[in-house]
Amino acid sequence: MVFISPLFLLGLMAALLPIAIHLIRKEKPPKLMFSTIRFLKKTSKKLILFQHIQQWLLLLLRSVVIALLVMAFARPLIDQTMARLLDADPQSAVILLDISMSMRYGDTFDRAKQEALDILRTMTSGDEVALIGFSDSAEFVRELNTDIDSVRSVIADLEEPGYGATRYMPNLRLADQLLEESRYDNRVVYLISDFQDSGLQDLDEGWKLAPGVAFNGIDVATEESSNLVLTDVRSPEQLLEDAAEQLILARVRSTGTLYLNQGEVTLSIDGVMVDRAPVNLADRSEEVISFSANFDTQGTHVGEVRVNGDNFDDDNSFFFTVDVLPKIRVLLVNGEASENWFDDEGHWFGLAVSSAAQSPFELSSIEPAELSAAVLRRNDVAVLLNVGDLSTAQAEAVGEYVNNGGSLLLAPGDRVNPDIFNRQFAEIAPATIGSQGQLGIDDYLVIADFDRRHPILRPLDSDWLARFQGHWSLSAHAESDVLMQFDNTEPALLEREVGNGKVILFASSLDLEWNNLALQGLFLPFVHETLRHLVQSEKKQGSYDIGESFSLDPTGEGQSVQAMTPSGDDIVFANDDFVVTATEPGLISVNVDQVDYRYAVNILPEESDFTRAAVATLYDSIINPDTDITQSREVRTTQLIEELERPQRMWWWILISVMLLILAEAVVANRTYR
Amino acid sequence: MSDSINFLDPSILAGLDNLELRARVVVEGFLSGMHKSPHRGFSVEFNDYRNYNRGDDMRHVDWKLYARSDKFYIKQYEDETNVRCVIVLDTSASMAYSSGGISKLNYGVTLASALAYFIMRQRDAVGLITFDDEIKEFLPPKCRQPHLMRILRALSQVKPGTKTDVVKPLTNLAATLTKKSIVVLITDMLDDEERIIRTLQNLRAMGNDVITFQVMDDAELNFPFNEASEFIDMENNESFITTPATIRKSYLDNLNVFLSYCKKQCQTSGVDYCLLNTANPLDEALSSYMSKRAKSF
Repeated sequence: MVFISPLFLLGLMAALLPIAIHLIRKEKPPKLMFSTIRFLKKTSKKLILFQHIQQWLLLLLRSVVIALLVMAFARPLIDQTMARLLDADPQSAVILLDISMSMRYGDTFDRAKQEALDILRTMTSGDEVALIGFSDSAEFVRELNTDIDSVRSVIADLEEPGYGATRYMPNLRLADQLLEESRYDNRVVYLISDFQDSGLQDLDEGWKLAPGVAFNGIDVATEESSNLVLTDVRSPEQLLEDAAEQLILARVRSTGTLYLNQGEVTLSIDGVMVDRAPVNLADRSEEVISFSANFDTQGTHVGEVRVNGDNFDDDNSFFFTVDVLPKIRVLLVNGEASENWFDDEGHWFGLAVSSAAQSPFELSSIEPAELSAAVLRRNDVAVLLNVGDLSTAQAEAVGEYVNNGGSLLLAPGDRVNPDIFNRQFAEIAPATIGSQGQLGIDDYLVIADFDRRHPILRPLDSDWLARFQGHWSLSAHAESDVLMQFDNTEPALLEREVGNGKVILFASSLDLEWNNLALQGLFLPFVHETLRHLVQSEKKQGSYDIGESFSLDPTGEGQSVQAMTPSGDDIVFANDDFVVTATEPGLISVNVDQVDYRYAVNILPEESDFTRAAVATLYDSIINPDTDITQSREVRTTQLIEELERPQRMWWWILISVMLLILAEAVVANRTYR
Repeated sequence: MSDSINFLDPSILAGLDNLELRARVVVEGFLSGMHKSPHRGFSVEFNDYRNYNRGDDMRHVDWKLYARSDKFYIKQYEDETNVRCVIVLDTSASMAYSSGGISKLNYGVTLASALAYFIMRQRDAVGLITFDDEIKEFLPPKCRQPHLMRILRALSQVKPGTKTDVVKPLTNLAATLTKKSIVVLITDMLDDEERIIRTLQNLRAMGNDVITFQVMDDAELNFPFNEASEFIDMENNESFITTPATIRKSYLDNLNVFLSYCKKQCQTSGVDYCLLNTANPLDEALSSYMSKRAKSF
């Protein structure tokens, strides 16, 4: 038995009234003077007992009459009927709860949770509901089910939103997909958000919710907000030792509904504030603050630019890292040192590695005869340019050097004997040298293809205009990688890993004798990237935005990786690649095989823009034209209750029972009191 | 007839403070309906004339004298004024009961005064005894007009007494009666009914005519109460809490046993018995008396 208007059941207390009246009146029977009671006293005890029974029967009848009247007003339905009622028009709903960073403003998120709980409160058993917590993507999804209480507990347990950006469309699509699996036709999407305008950037005018899916946008944004945000910070990522003073730029903007024109920006390096500057936005919408900083010592430095002066703290900091690297020691073994600089490979190579004011290389040049194991050990990379007359011991020293982790760049020229070369470097060379390819005066080769994903060539994805009139025909070893090819399909650049070292073989010389590569604009970066690649592992990105996924192992070969979130919690990896998703702004500390690394994670500035969009804008964009204007659930429920209650007429039966009881009461009362 | 009945309505009579007036209204009203009375005149030798009064038997009108004088004269006879009547009125506490209209005592006073007026009008001697558990007033029977005023004055001063003892005044009365008399007892008989009956039988055995008017209130006869109440006995203050509707039948059964006993015992003893409901007019009582007087003399 269920009741449509259960509040009326409070009236059941009125059933106690007859008992209360009885008890009150029992204490004070009216006195009546009578001529004689001799005829009353002759009444039998059985009659008096019957009199008491009749009184209690009357009391019971009156209480039952009141109770039945109350039940009639409460409009009872039997269980099966209520089940039919609920099944008649149950609801399938998806609640989209915005948990992006902007929801952290003030008590916005608390109000959003309350709205979600209020929606659940209107639902009845039989309804099914799904919950999606979203920012730029779905942070968590609870698929459609009828366990409303569990959804309620999930919402109640949400402590705070994340730091992600807002994107409505992908999450609305997800909600629509969930509703495709709904059991009921009455489908609705509730979107609880602060309706940031930035969240509508990817609005797809062509996409609509499925026909029949209603949309209810609930705006919980704070009417008045004030915020200063760092929209951009520019800082160097990598420096070499003894680098000059660096410039750090911070761009500040007021993004709240209330304009803030005063503030302060500070710069901290390695946890120590080194500079500060006021912000004055009185006559401009944005101000660029400049800081100067020195990064003297080798290693990774962390910096934080912070803006103060508003009441939203979560987007006030921007973190960055600066790697200060030692210079790369390069040993140049010049096999054809010539007074004619035109034909001197060492000249062109030296120009490439030493021309920049802040060269990352420390170049030392020797004759082939000077090459020894001791000399090799003092350098990070050895470059053999057109060296064709090494002794066997020297060749073995080179091989040992490479196997022990040294790097070698080979650019054989016309002084190289292929047989000797192939014999001496058989274990380390990426290829064997064949014949020398000499073309006619008007004929030449060009670089036809290259591996654009390779660290050397990735930044050199451009047109290689160099012309090669001379080269060595190379036969690549199986373990070598061909990085470049000439247009005759012969390898132009090869790489081979040997022991702990790397060897790169260029199929031509680095002077102008066989090609004009040294005259090309790509020559210098080509040399730099090649040397850097040989010595260093690939430069890993040190700064990420919220929502980006990346590996915390910069070597890619780490055996032991421990990491901590910006808030100091240990990171538990769910994969072997130590890949995490940035969810919290700050600095992630990582230890890879006893080597420390730091990663900066920053919020997306667009999420700090509190400019609001109208709910109607989103509604008009996504609602399907074939969707009828849905009635409110209350109206539908009322109609259904009336429709299903009508054939029952249960209250009619109750009232008839009441009438019969009143008649019985009248009869008993008449027998009792008249 | 209906007008006269209205005048005899006890509730209307109760509004008349002057007891003589009340008695006259009762008697005149009663007599106005007696013209067709089947009772015939008295006896014996003609003695004198008197003026015709309403209620006189038309057969006693001297028609010859009427033809000569054009006035009605009634022929009076020698023994017509020899009747002695004693009215015995119970004034105990139970007689003060009233369910809303006239009390039993007031009804009895009205009845007694009407009887006294009527008897005196018939030139009979009338006396009065009022009592509760003791005799409160005793006026011996006389037929003079001032005596009527004393009787009416005594009746007007009657107040409810305490307990009832009917036997005592009747016993005293029997001792004082030297001639055959009519004893009119007005009481509710809420006493030891067996003793009352025995005393009445004694009076009857002494040659007296006895008329018993048992006066009961309508509520006593029908017990119309509904609400649960604490009933308090007016004579001994005992109480009884009950729901009247439940025991109404039992009450009425017990009451009817009592009334039937009184009626039956009176009838078997030659005592005229008349149960009077205070809600009904007094003519029934007067008729009973006239019937008894006619049969006796």
